[in-house]
Amino acid sequence: MTRGAAITRRVAGHLARGVVMIWVVATVSFFIIREIPGDPVQGMYESLLQKGMSPQQAERATAVLYGFLPKGTLWDQYVGYMGSLLHGDLGQSLSTPGVQVTHLIGAAASWTVLPVLAGTLLSFLLGVTMGVYAAIRRSGKLGDLLALSGSLLHGIPVYVIGLLLTAIFATLWPILPSGGPVDVDYVPGLNPGYIGSLLYHAVLPVVTYTLASYGGWILAMKSNVVAVLGDDFILAAELRGLKRGIVFRYLARNAILPLFTILALSIGMLFGGSIFIEEIFNYPGLGLLLVNSISSRDYALMGGTFLIITVGIVVANIVADLLYTVIDPRVRSGGTA
Amino acid sequence: MTVTVLPEVAGTSRATLRRNFWRGVWRVLRRKPSRMAGVGIVALFALMGAFGPLLYPANLPRDDNALYAPPSLAHPFGTDFEGTDVLALVVTGARYVLLTGLATAFITVALGTAIGLFAGFRRGRWDTALMRLTDLNLAIPGLPLLLVLSTVWKFTSPLEMGLVLGLLGWGGVARAVRSQTLSLRERGFIEAARGLGLPTRHIVGRELLPSMAPYIAMNMLIAVTGAVYAQVGLFFLGVLPFEANNWGVMLNLAVFSGGALTTPAALPYLLAPLLAILLLTLGIVLIVDAMDEIFNPRLREE
Repeated sequence: MTRGAAITRRVAGHLARGVVMIWVVATVSFFIIREIPGDPVQGMYESLLQKGMSPQQAERATAVLYGFLPKGTLWDQYVGYMGSLLHGDLGQSLSTPGVQVTHLIGAAASWTVLPVLAGTLLSFLLGVTMGVYAAIRRSGKLGDLLALSGSLLHGIPVYVIGLLLTAIFATLWPILPSGGPVDVDYVPGLNPGYIGSLLYHAVLPVVTYTLASYGGWILAMKSNVVAVLGDDFILAAELRGLKRGIVFRYLARNAILPLFTILALSIGMLFGGSIFIEEIFNYPGLGLLLVNSISSRDYALMGGTFLIITVGIVVANIVADLLYTVIDPRVRSGGTA
Repeated sequence: MTVTVLPEVAGTSRATLRRNFWRGVWRVLRRKPSRMAGVGIVALFALMGAFGPLLYPANLPRDDNALYAPPSLAHPFGTDFEGTDVLALVVTGARYVLLTGLATAFITVALGTAIGLFAGFRRGRWDTALMRLTDLNLAIPGLPLLLVLSTVWKFTSPLEMGLVLGLLGWGGVARAVRSQTLSLRERGFIEAARGLGLPTRHIVGRELLPSMAPYIAMNMLIAVTGAVYAQVGLFFLGVLPFEANNWGVMLNLAVFSGGALTTPAALPYLLAPLLAILLLTLGIVLIVDAMDEIFNPRLREE
């Protein structure tokens, strides 16, 4: 009873904050699209008029593209934009005419979400395991080395990792493809050639995602394990003569808990990093879509992609928090313990 | 090996205190040679930023006979697509990169500290409101926002770039300073100051800030690295016009026009700015590590 209420309250809080963030982002992109030098909305309207459309037709055609009318007060335009967003209408793409922005984003989303999830999972497993070792061996050479690898990788920007990996494994020693999501020779579908090619092309992006967030995990896990090592219950367990494996499990279970709060931040960070990774590996995900929409002046697509990336981060936050509630018994019972 | 600390004379002046502090710094630095290396690296980059552009003519010489020349004695990192020496490009580009980094770090830390101090010291309604704002600042996807913003505002000058990056990045510092303030304000010396009826200005400026100064300084260094990454990344993506030479512009030209990822010929052109970023990061990470030990006596391995 209390447990359900506590979880509901937490999720409700997250949802409220998420809605505020999405609203802020939508407002920002509305004003940016409106303030872009050269006023693309008005320009579109005028060029349609010149093509011989009636003012009403041109207005409607422009509104289909951008989600708001080229005429009217700022407030009317804002309400129009928000209204179409609430209907799930992000406008139409300009660079690929006649295609809904939502359609393009839907096609790109899986190219971002799957590698990001794979990278998060891999880096989490790797970082947590190495973090425990780094903590136990913290006065030895191995621990020093692991901790240093963590701080360095944590400090290096994603694009440096990506570019270095490509330089090594695609240019100097070409064993992996330098870009693209899949070979064009294969027929898309569930045949082994196509899937093999998909995986082959995903190696470098996923490894880059993994290395980019591995540093954070190992550092956080190390400091958590060091803190737990000083706790009385570990000493008690050792004094009781419990097997090392069991002590190890006590240790890992308690040290790993706080990491789940970082999980959300990490996914958000990787979503941002996807812009660089997809640009480097020419991977057709949301990040590449955003950059390309800016360089091709496709502003409806730009606003939509920005909004969807934000929604992705909000959803990741809520999921990570739910996960935390399920795992941590203290939160589960309403935070009284 | 160990520096003998002289027994302190009665009536220690500020000067001896300061001398002891620098002696402590020297001791911490000397214990691990890597820390000395960190100081050396950062000093090298600082010199590069200050004097680098003076070493070369305003328009770097081109050599049409040596496009994408391999590394040689004359060109340690080869040449670029116009036959310009890559090392010269890295050295002259450092000023922009570092200036932007400093501007960003200054704005980030000033905003973050002010907001964190105010929220933590006032508590109550202001605290709640400011922390909501901080949460939003932390949660908003910064890089996509920067990209979208670049369509309306070409923030290329170091100050503008610093302003944009600083306005987007103060959340972490504010959160940390607030929690420090909350814990410090319950300590004895702050309560004593309040009990003595000292003005808030004195308590915040003379009691709270000095005890947080090292912490803030470390955050400032970390903010420099963050700013360097962000601006190099923005230029690498090519969403901002290339007005001055800097490392991000080099990366962009190497990858998207030079084809550095497909032909080994242009590889040195790509690797040189990458190496510069890595070295700068390494230097700053090592210095932060040393500062941690200088200001946090509990970490000292005496």
